[in-house]
Amino acid sequence: MSVIGPTAVTTGDPSGAPTGDPHAPAGTPARDPGRRTGAAAPRSRARIALYVVMALVVVVYAYPLLFLLNTALKSDAEFFRNPTGLVTLPQLGNFVTAWEKGNFAAYLLNSVLYTFVAAAIGTLISLMVGFPVARGYLRHTRLWSSLFAAMLFLPNTLVTVFQLALRLNLYDTRLGYILIMASGVGVGPLLIAGYVKSVPKEIDEAAALDGVGYVRYLFTFLPSLIKPVLATVFILQAIGVWNDIILATILLPDQSKFPVTLGLFAFKGTYVSQWSLLSAATIIVAAPLLVVYLFLQRYLVASVVGGAVKG
Amino acid sequence: MNRSFLFGRRSSAQLVFALGLALVVVFSLVPAVGVLAISFTDIRSLPFLPVHFVGLDNYTTFFSSAQLGYNVHALRNTLVFAVAVTLFQNVIALFIAVLLNQRLRGRTAARAIVFLPTILGVTVIGLVFSLLFNPSGGPAASVWSWFGSSSAFFGSPSLAMPLVIAVQVWSGIGVAVVIYLAGLQAIPQELYEVAAIDGAGGWQRLRHVTYPLLAPSVTANTLLCVIGALQSYQLIYVLTGPINPATQVLSLAIFTQGFGGAQGGVAQSQGYAAAISVVQFLIVMVVSLATLAYLRRRETQL
Repeated sequence: MSVIGPTAVTTGDPSGAPTGDPHAPAGTPARDPGRRTGAAAPRSRARIALYVVMALVVVVYAYPLLFLLNTALKSDAEFFRNPTGLVTLPQLGNFVTAWEKGNFAAYLLNSVLYTFVAAAIGTLISLMVGFPVARGYLRHTRLWSSLFAAMLFLPNTLVTVFQLALRLNLYDTRLGYILIMASGVGVGPLLIAGYVKSVPKEIDEAAALDGVGYVRYLFTFLPSLIKPVLATVFILQAIGVWNDIILATILLPDQSKFPVTLGLFAFKGTYVSQWSLLSAATIIVAAPLLVVYLFLQRYLVASVVGGAVKG
Repeated sequence: MNRSFLFGRRSSAQLVFALGLALVVVFSLVPAVGVLAISFTDIRSLPFLPVHFVGLDNYTTFFSSAQLGYNVHALRNTLVFAVAVTLFQNVIALFIAVLLNQRLRGRTAARAIVFLPTILGVTVIGLVFSLLFNPSGGPAASVWSWFGSSSAFFGSPSLAMPLVIAVQVWSGIGVAVVIYLAGLQAIPQELYEVAAIDGAGGWQRLRHVTYPLLAPSVTANTLLCVIGALQSYQLIYVLTGPINPATQVLSLAIFTQGFGGAQGGVAQSQGYAAAISVVQFLIVMVVSLATLAYLRRRETQL
């Protein structure tokens, strides 16, 4: 409480926020905490302050990325002359060079493969184990639920996963990496079990009466009923797989199998301090994500909220 | 309940369940339990070497005088990192969430921008901040030079840790904000109206309506953050490399001892790395259970 209190003061009384003096006009009901209902209209000074703070937040997040773009557009000569200034003569050559030298086409392809297959298998696993447990179609339902919960608190398994891959001949194979990434289902089964409880059991009964078998119901009927949670589980897992760097480092020594995270990391090692080139490479890696994010942003954020809150 | 299986024979459900569970058991549960088992061996990263049972040797090595200084240092770094990240991330996220819950133009875009690092991932973020803090001519170095000083930033023993903490907070705040926003939107509007009728000001409404009702989100966020921060090291790995002493945390010690880059005599002993995993696991258990107990008690008090 004592930790969050002071911040709350600042937020509740935004007129003082930008200057860092949270107590300036204490006690004034400057803020309207409601979203829909408009109580007394907030004073315009307070609103301006709110916009200023929001702008600051946006700058803190946008500046690093804009600076990255600025650097990527500079020639080597211009970078050395003026590393922090605004680019004067934008060049796209860095992107071409980085693309050619960095082998990013292959790395991106690897990442797309790993991410889609591992997230799809992971979502499927979550569905296969989450649904029957939620419905009580198996014995020991409580035991299984607590197992899924306990799986969120497993110890660091880097060493054993490595040994397992080694001994199953899955070391340095795409299959091994995908299987290991797919099995890290995290909150998946819990999320699906939670969501399934909102689907009326009568639908199961109706389908069964119509002669639909369990397998067909699970894989063809149910998914259309629980699309939102399937999408959430897929997205959460896809973010995890796409961003992984450590397991890939351990399990995939062969450079041709690198995901793009590792490819970019290796590129950094090779072109240390050639910042224009490195920035271009970083943008090449980030751009596809930015584009996807641009289109799916609302949905992504919403699904992660759902996932996080239920988990 | 258990007898009400609708789809004919139960075996089909059992079979599908077993298939799904098998993968999880083999690649998640067996490795998790296996960590404890191989922490009592001298297993190495090369296959086909004989593996010996060494009892508690790895643990005595961990607490031996040769290693203890290093390990205590890593443990201290881990706790400093976790406490600082949890504290800053929660406070700033709550602040931003309350801000972005106001009816402001462009708040949807602002939310999207704050959440963006979650998508970008550690490698991209690591490179962006290496660029901003590059000692030869980065923007941070320019600012430093106005005051006539210079710094190696991520290479500096005193500054590396605070910087890594800052970058971790920067990149992790999106998820926390989104969780707080969900909590804020679940608060019924009527309560604010009642409070307004009772003459509660903005601060009072925040203190007596918003904050108590947000307690479950605070618990969720704090717990997620503590557990995540105690175990996270990917960003540290990308920003400062695996063996920078200033930012050595337990997870990185597991990585360096098990997979190279370690200093000292026990390099590449994966049995020893597994022992560190077990020690770390125990710490995470104790800290998260204690945090949970504290937060639950506080929730009921509010």
